[in-house]
Amino acid sequence: MAFVLAVAVAGTGALTACGGDDEGGDGNVTLTFWTHTHPPMIDLNKKLIAEYESKHPNVKIEYQQIPNTEFATKMLTSLSTGAGPDIINMDDNALRGEYFPKRLLSPIDPAGFGKSSVEEVEAEYVPGTLDGAKDAEGKLYGVPSEFNGTAFAINTKHFKDAGLDPANPPKTWQDVVDYGKKLNAAGHKQAFNFLYLHSGWYNQWFQTLANQTGGSILSQDGKTATLTSDGSKKALQLWVELARTSGIADPKTSSRDATAPYQDLASGVQSMAIVYPWSMDQIKGSNPDTYKDLAVVPLPQVDAAAQPVSRVYGYFWSVNAASKRKSEAWQFIAYLASARDRWLTDVSFVQPVKGWESSAPAKQIPFIDVIAQAYANGRYDQVGPHWNEVQDTIHKAVDEAVFDGKPVDQVLTEANEAVQRSIGS
Amino acid sequence: MRRLVWIPVTAGGLAFAAILLYAAISALKPGGEVLAVPIEWWPSRFEWHNLRLPFEETPFARYYANSVFVGVTVTLLNIVTCTLAGYSFSKFSYPGRNVAFVVVLATLMVPLEVIYVPLYALIYDLGWVNSFAGLIIPAGTSAFGIFLMRQAIDSVPDELLEAARLDGAGVIRTLLTIIGPLVRGPMAALALFIFLMNWDSHLWPLLVASDDDHRTLPVGLAAMQANNLGASGIPMMMAAAVLALLPTVVLFLSLQKRFVEGVAMSAGLR
Amino acid sequence: MTTTTARPVRVPGSSRAPGRRRRVHGRDLVGAALSLPALLLFAFFAIYPGLRVFYLSLFDYSLTAPPEFVGLDNFRFLAEDPRFRQAVLNSLFYTVGTYLPALALALALAVVLRRRMRGLGWVRLLYFLPVATSWVAISVVWRLVLHPDGLLNETLHIDVNWLTSSSTARWALVIMGIWKETGFFLILFLAGLARMPEDVHEAALVDGANTWQRFWRVTFPLLKPITAICSVIAVIRGFQAFSPQVVLTGGAFDTEVVNLFVYKTAFESARMGRASAVAVLMFLLLIAVTLVQLRVFRRNDV
Repeated sequence: MAFVLAVAVAGTGALTACGGDDEGGDGNVTLTFWTHTHPPMIDLNKKLIAEYESKHPNVKIEYQQIPNTEFATKMLTSLSTGAGPDIINMDDNALRGEYFPKRLLSPIDPAGFGKSSVEEVEAEYVPGTLDGAKDAEGKLYGVPSEFNGTAFAINTKHFKDAGLDPANPPKTWQDVVDYGKKLNAAGHKQAFNFLYLHSGWYNQWFQTLANQTGGSILSQDGKTATLTSDGSKKALQLWVELARTSGIADPKTSSRDATAPYQDLASGVQSMAIVYPWSMDQIKGSNPDTYKDLAVVPLPQVDAAAQPVSRVYGYFWSVNAASKRKSEAWQFIAYLASARDRWLTDVSFVQPVKGWESSAPAKQIPFIDVIAQAYANGRYDQVGPHWNEVQDTIHKAVDEAVFDGKPVDQVLTEANEAVQRSIGS
Repeated sequence: MRRLVWIPVTAGGLAFAAILLYAAISALKPGGEVLAVPIEWWPSRFEWHNLRLPFEETPFARYYANSVFVGVTVTLLNIVTCTLAGYSFSKFSYPGRNVAFVVVLATLMVPLEVIYVPLYALIYDLGWVNSFAGLIIPAGTSAFGIFLMRQAIDSVPDELLEAARLDGAGVIRTLLTIIGPLVRGPMAALALFIFLMNWDSHLWPLLVASDDDHRTLPVGLAAMQANNLGASGIPMMMAAAVLALLPTVVLFLSLQKRFVEGVAMSAGLR
Repeated sequence: MTTTTARPVRVPGSSRAPGRRRRVHGRDLVGAALSLPALLLFAFFAIYPGLRVFYLSLFDYSLTAPPEFVGLDNFRFLAEDPRFRQAVLNSLFYTVGTYLPALALALALAVVLRRRMRGLGWVRLLYFLPVATSWVAISVVWRLVLHPDGLLNETLHIDVNWLTSSSTARWALVIMGIWKETGFFLILFLAGLARMPEDVHEAALVDGANTWQRFWRVTFPLLKPITAICSVIAVIRGFQAFSPQVVLTGGAFDTEVVNLFVYKTAFESARMGRASAVAVLMFLLLIAVTLVQLRVFRRNDV
């Protein structure tokens, strides 16, 4: 009973204290800041917030993390109703698919960065890397908190077990299949797997493959679904081949636990995986022993002779259009962005400023040249209206082709109709 | 012949309970043994430390306290509002009574998930986002609760109330001294029912209160599933789930008799 | 407050006859007032948003721009949307698959478990326990039970991919649903049986009816009212299922039930008008099914 009472008292305190985020006339500013959950990132955000608050005693930052599975929903609902935080950290798919068309965000304020024009801010970044935060008219809405290129990880110990040379990693997806069979023969049953988490993950793998096979989800003008094109069919066929027909791994045993996305690679069960810089950092933290055996190599291609194609995506700090503290918010973002060396050292988040790959902390990252290469070959995802529905459609199509074994032609024909319905209504 | 019936019935019951036992044991297993093939029925050693993991790695204690606070307040509110409304609908006649009752029941048919859109806008206008008010007040009454209490109070003989009235008891005093003691069972059922429902409430707390200070257990559990917590994942999740199951199961065990009586009284119907 | 208004009337016993009518009327007013706390909460937090759902179903509304009137377009879209059709079928499968066995099982168990016998309380309790668990927490547990190397496969020595195949995922949810929901209806049936006069049974025993005949001729007809309530509750619970699908499959492999579809349409795609239209359709469907159920049970009652 005493416990309940104590909780009740604590609760009523909070009850009356709520809604008090608007400051009085004492010049104090409270900024709210929301991100998804990625523990190393959260730690660094907290440190930077503390430093910023001690430098600016009149500023208070309220920092909240939203569970990844609910992140998109929660953000969209709160921003759409005019609520929501001053500062968000959001991926480029959501920005371009939902936030810009709905005018939920406010364009970048160069003054916050101590610059006189947006061009000056842009000039610091590698050309093209800010495209994920630009709307259809090319207006910029944020700066990257992380910029990720796609690479490939192999378990060198498994390779040696199978009599393969880790210095000669797979260059094509056909190599992945061939090596996979040898790995299987050496007892490594899960040679290569995709990660089957939420729709966003399905979509990113699909676009990674489609970038190479010449496939797409929508036509250039964004008005027509193109999932029945040859390139798109090839992309899904390649996925089915890698995951199902080649037999180099059973997709059904792939860990679907969002608790640790790269669990199978990290625990030494899986031999090869598509990875990002942050995933390597995470494995280093959770499974240092396996990490020592992993090598990061370029993403395998469909055609070894062609110009390699990779995929990039970014998360961007941006400011709520409804924020009453926009200039203070941009100042804080500028501070976060200025800590670029620490983002790299602590979290393996790349801020794609010019010359980042030759900075001192970048040199400390073992696979830096592979990652830099991935950025150079990278392409942002295709995004269109009602992108959540489109991603759900891709998710369903892949599930049916990979897990249920339905013919690729059939699932893509159905998916194409679904995408057309989504974008056309 | 009759004896034979007990064997499958008891075995079935044990199978039902086995799931919970499995959850409890899994929560105490060392990480590698949870999904071992073949299945390890008994852990090589009990990792009592697992139970501390959620508290150490997440603000689990805070989620817990929030859930208890919101659950208790919502339950108390419901007992008051549903009993009063049930009494009103059962023992008084006034124009509009039946319409009001039917409208209340009809709300049971509307998927809550959709009401949440306009409701969220309303709560936002009231300034209740990220507050306990936003979690508690909209849940302050329930159609099912009103139905339950109306049925229960219906079964209290009118003659008793008439006698009380002739004795000079007012409306409220009649409720407290005559009806209250008679419907204690249904009230316990109501309390348990509401507490269970609230303990389970997932989507609304997620939308309306997402900071750690107000986050409740289901939202916290979902958040823990989504957080990248590495190899400690499964035992910690199982520990968290078992800890989250505990209060309602214990509450149920202690209120079980009353619950069944209460449901009997109100659901037995005419 | 209400007590004080009621009190002055009670004191003298003299003017009973003329005062009676007014007094009853006054009491009823007080009685009516007692429903106000609940009704006000309902008005604000259920009825107003509910009516708004009906209103919004006629609009194209994405939260950020003002709603735009589109007439019945949302309904027209849904009428020919394969995803919505599939969601309705998925809900239907889950509802029938879970609640028909759960009701039958609960009824059978209730008949056996109704007796007052030592040790029986414990057996009952075993079946009640799942009722006391919360959907979200228990779904986390069931993810492990249904894991390829989990409890179910390992105990039965089978190799079924419960959660990653369109042919089994729906059954996985049904199995969990039956486990979770049977106890709830068992409580209701036991309640119904507890009210049944014991002498009816005795009489049937004397008549020499066997167990089966006794059940169909005596017990079951008496259980009709409670069965009616149970089946109404079952349909509502079945069509409003949400959490198990979210936690176990996220709606993949043909488990996207109507409520999950509504949720995604509303909160992930911000198509509030369309989501509201689904809600209106579901509301009308549930009302219709409930009325049919009550009618069927009432007719047989006579």
